[in-house]
Parts: sequence; C-alpha cells; structure tokens
Amino acid sequence: MKSTLDVDLEAASRTANIGIVVLFGLFAAAGHFVSFYFHFFTVACFLLVLVNLYWRHFQTEHTLLANFGFLAQIRYLVESVGPEFRQYLFASDTEERPFNRVDRAQVYRKAKGIDSSSAFGTLLPYDQDEIKLRHSFYPADQNQLEPFDVVVGAARGLATAHHIKRPLMISAMSFGALGEHAVRALARGAALSGATMNTGEGGYPKHHLEEGCDLTFQLGTAKFGVRTEDGRLDDAKLAALAAHEQIKMVEIKFSQGAKPGKGGLLPKEKITEEIAELRGVPLGKDVISPSHHVECTDAASTVAFIGHVQEVCGLPTGIKFCLGRPDEFRELVREMKRQDIVPDFITVDGGEGGTGAAPKSFMDELGLPLFEALPLVQTILVEEGVRDRLKLFASGKLISAGKQLQAMSMGADAVYSARGFLLALGCIQALMCNRNSCPVGITTHEAHLQQGLDIEEKSQRVANYIKAIHHEHEELLAATGQHAARDLTPVNLYVPDQVRS
Amino acid sequence: MKNKALTFAAQGIAAAILFMASGMKFFGSADTVAIFQALGMEPAGRFLIAFIEMGAALLLISPFAASGAALAVSVMCGAIIAHCTQIGMVVDDDGGMHMLLLVAVFLASLYVLIARRKELPIIGGTL
Repeated sequence: MKSTLDVDLEAASRTANIGIVVLFGLFAAAGHFVSFYFHFFTVACFLLVLVNLYWRHFQTEHTLLANFGFLAQIRYLVESVGPEFRQYLFASDTEERPFNRVDRAQVYRKAKGIDSSSAFGTLLPYDQDEIKLRHSFYPADQNQLEPFDVVVGAARGLATAHHIKRPLMISAMSFGALGEHAVRALARGAALSGATMNTGEGGYPKHHLEEGCDLTFQLGTAKFGVRTEDGRLDDAKLAALAAHEQIKMVEIKFSQGAKPGKGGLLPKEKITEEIAELRGVPLGKDVISPSHHVECTDAASTVAFIGHVQEVCGLPTGIKFCLGRPDEFRELVREMKRQDIVPDFITVDGGEGGTGAAPKSFMDELGLPLFEALPLVQTILVEEGVRDRLKLFASGKLISAGKQLQAMSMGADAVYSARGFLLALGCIQALMCNRNSCPVGITTHEAHLQQGLDIEEKSQRVANYIKAIHHEHEELLAATGQHAARDLTPVNLYVPDQVRS
Repeated sequence: MKNKALTFAAQGIAAAILFMASGMKFFGSADTVAIFQALGMEPAGRFLIAFIEMGAALLLISPFAASGAALAVSVMCGAIIAHCTQIGMVVDDDGGMHMLLLVAVFLASLYVLIARRKELPIIGGTL
C-alpha cells in the first residue's frame, strides 16, 4: 500500500531542492534591480545550493541527504535534540534510564535537605517482581540501635584498622573522570559527614587530600600514581602514599561494573597537564589501562600480589571486582586459604554499575548484576570459611537507602555509590560524562563549566545526602526489627518466586 | 601539523583584514561611504556589514573559527557581487587594492571553512 506521507516527503524534498535554485535567481535579480539588501538572501541561497549539491551528488556517507537533499537535515536536527525532549517533555517519571526522575528526585531532595516524603501511593510498579525489605511485627526502637561501625583490618590485628562510621561510602571516581571542583566538593562533603571516600584509579590523589577526609586509595591495573616506568607496582611510592594520614585503606581494582574484563579509559579530551603529571602519562592520547594487573595471571599470583600490597602499605587492603564466573572466584578464595592471605575487604561491583567511559557492549552485555553476584560471593565466602576474616562492600546503582539495606541483607557490611553522589552534586543525567562537556561541571575539566559548581555549596549537599541516607537506614533497620545492620540477613528480604527462579 | 599551522595563518590573515575593513566602515572612511552610497545602503548597510565583519573576525580567532569563516565567506560573496555588478574592480583609483584584499579574505576564509567544516554547528557532522 502506498503511504501518502512518503510521497509527500519525496515531492517536498524535490520541490525544495529546485526551490532554492529558483530563490537564488529571484533574490539575485531583486538584489540587482530593487535593492542590494536582497543580496543577503542571494548569498545565503547560493551557499545552501552549493552545500546541497555536495550532499546530493558528492558525499556517500549519508543516504538520506543523498536522496532527499537539505530537507533531510530536519531528521538529524530533530534526532539530535531527541534525548532532551524525551527527558523534559515526553518520558514519564518512572521511564528513564539509568535513573528515572523519581530516583533522581529522591537524591536531590536528600542533598538539598528538604522533605522527601510523598503522598498518594508509590509511583513504582509495586508488583510481584520487585525485591522488598520485610518489616517486623516488632520494630526496634530507633534510639536503641547500635551505632554503625564497621572495622576493616581488625581480623588481621592491624593497628591501622579503619572504622567506617557511615554505611554509604563514595565510590571510586578518579580525578580525571571528575573535574577538580567535583572531587573537592565530594571530598569536603565526606569530611563534613565522616564518610570514607574512594579515590578511584586516577593516580596521586592531590585534590582528594586537600579536603581532609578519610580515603581509600584505589590501585588500578595501570597503577597510576604508584607505577614504575614499565607499569609495574613501585613499592616505595605505594609505601610513601600509604604513610599519608588520610589514606586509610587500599583497594586493588581487578574489574569494574561499567566494563568488566577491560581496563579503564580516560578520553584524551579530558587529559589536562595536571592529570598527565599525576598519572605519569602523555598528553593528547586516550589513556587505556590494561585489562588486568601484570602481576596477576592466575589465582596463585593474584593472591600473592594481594599479600604483597598488604605488606608494603601496612593498611587494610581489599579487592574490587565485578563478578563473572563464580567458579573462578571460589578457586581464588581457596588459593587465599592455601596461602593464608585474605584481603581485608571485598567490593562487589554490579554489572549495572558505571560512571566510567566504556564501550557500549561492555556496559550492556558483561558482568553479573549486583543482586545476583552479591549472594553468590557471600555464599562462597561463608562456605569456604573466610567470611569472618573480611568485610564485604557492594556497589551498583545503590542510590537509595532501601536498595542499600537490601544489599546489606544479602551480605554487604557497607555500600558504595558513585552516581548517587553525582546526583547530589547536581548531575542532570545529561549522559555526557565521556565528552568533557558535562553541563553541570562535574565530569569536565573545562574551567567555564566548572565555575558553576560551587565547592562549598555542593559539599554541603554531599554531606546532607550521606547523613539523610544514614538516617533512613536507621529508620528502615528499626522497621525490620533489627538493632544493627550486621544483623540483617536474607530473612529480612522478600524475594519473589519469579526473581528467585 | 603543517595544515594546522596553515589554517591558523589563514585565520589570522582573514581576521586582520576584516578588523581593518570593519574599522574603516565604522569610522566612515571616504571610499567605504562612496561604495555604500553606490549600493544605496549608506549608512545603515555600512554599519550592518561592519558589525558582521567584526563578528566574523572575532569568531575567526576564537574556538568557533569555522562559524567565523562561514560568516566571512558569506560577506565576501556579497562583496564580490557588489564589485562585479555595481562598483567595478577599481575603487577610488586604488589600483584594485580593495578587490585584492577582498579576494585574500575570501580565499583565506574559504580555506579555513573547508579545513574546519566538521566543526560547523548543526551541519558539521555531515560535511
């Protein structure tokens, strides 16, 4: 069947292509015989005719332009503004990804310290395929809860054992991925609220250290900040860094949720002279971290490397990964027992995680989701008898207290969030983190974009978010009838049969 | 690297001549007034073109050089039309100096426009 619309568009484009040539002639004549001002239009039409000729007869890249000429540009124009139109006008409050408006608004409200209660029922699909927390007939008295205190490194008897006082920590985002203002606002917010912040794998944490918060130094596969020229670990540099009073823990990153099995990527657009210096990399080239630590080629060498880092830094030292194969992880845990080297903590990053720039296929198709991976890791650790020798952290889209407590019911001792904190800083989910053009000045190094991100103002929002989340943790925990987060177990979870199966 | 240097040089040359030309139009030098009188655009057209030339020159030395080049090429096309149809090649016995500068700006801007066409807003990706 013939579509009327198709015929009209073809005819319209043909008419338009001829029309601009005719207009050019008419304007030229008017410019000559009536007023020279008409030549403004003559010139515009002339250039349009030239560009249109190129689109229709010389370029081969764009079929629509070759077939229809300049009117086809309308499609590209409309397509380019599509995301904004969808976000602001057409997408419903619960539709957007990765975080819908309801999710984001919840963080914004907490960060701004305004009432986050709502009315007239949930906006979420409250049906049978959602994991929920189970409340108790006998809620605990909120004033009787034990203060949150997770001690990392105590199992090894470390004098440097670190007390985590807030259940939510700032996840690994490097200076490089984030601009200076964002890093300092986060670090200052962490200091204000007593939370622990992960530095990310961006090398020497110069800006993190400026604000006085507790830090977990992340040792990435490229070992930025503590590397030798050939990319191996420089023990002396790590020891010197670990001696810094603010560095409380070291996290060896094996993989991350955004791109499990692939190294980090910092696009060249985001590499400033300062970043190049802090990381020890050249300017003007994408910085690609290796997909694995060169020292770690199997379970034995991996465990030996963990032990080596523990020994060199003298701090609680853990590992971070996005789970792929549980059998590999079980083998790794067994090797830990063989060598009697157990990391002080393990961070499980869900495959849904990801502030990092990553190839789309890695972002979409690899890595177990957090709520699949976390129970597997917990089970393996318990079955292998090492669970009491380490702490377990979870990360991956955990921006609400409810989801965080669900993770803690699955075994996590504390949780990480990265994007939750970006939202607290004012992220509008423009999805431009990899282009150095973040409109709210967070994932960019452009001074004119960062100037709008006031460090003092936004650090207060970060602190508000951390405190509000902690408060909500306590409310929810009391509702479950437990007195301490460590008492949460899968019994406190409702897992629908269809999810379980 | 060589091409980049050439592009920057072309931007500089075009911007310098445009600054000078727009300045002369703003201050109403005798020959520019004569030209715009001949075109029937004095004085509004002279100021309008001066503004556009100044804008093009500023854009040419900014990160938006592609847009500046497009603007400059457009203005020079208009100037070429004026010289070819109404004013003639020689203005005020200048031995064709006006025309020479015009062609210099046109060619330099055209070179910048072609070299930086991908940076043009909206249509850059399709050129």
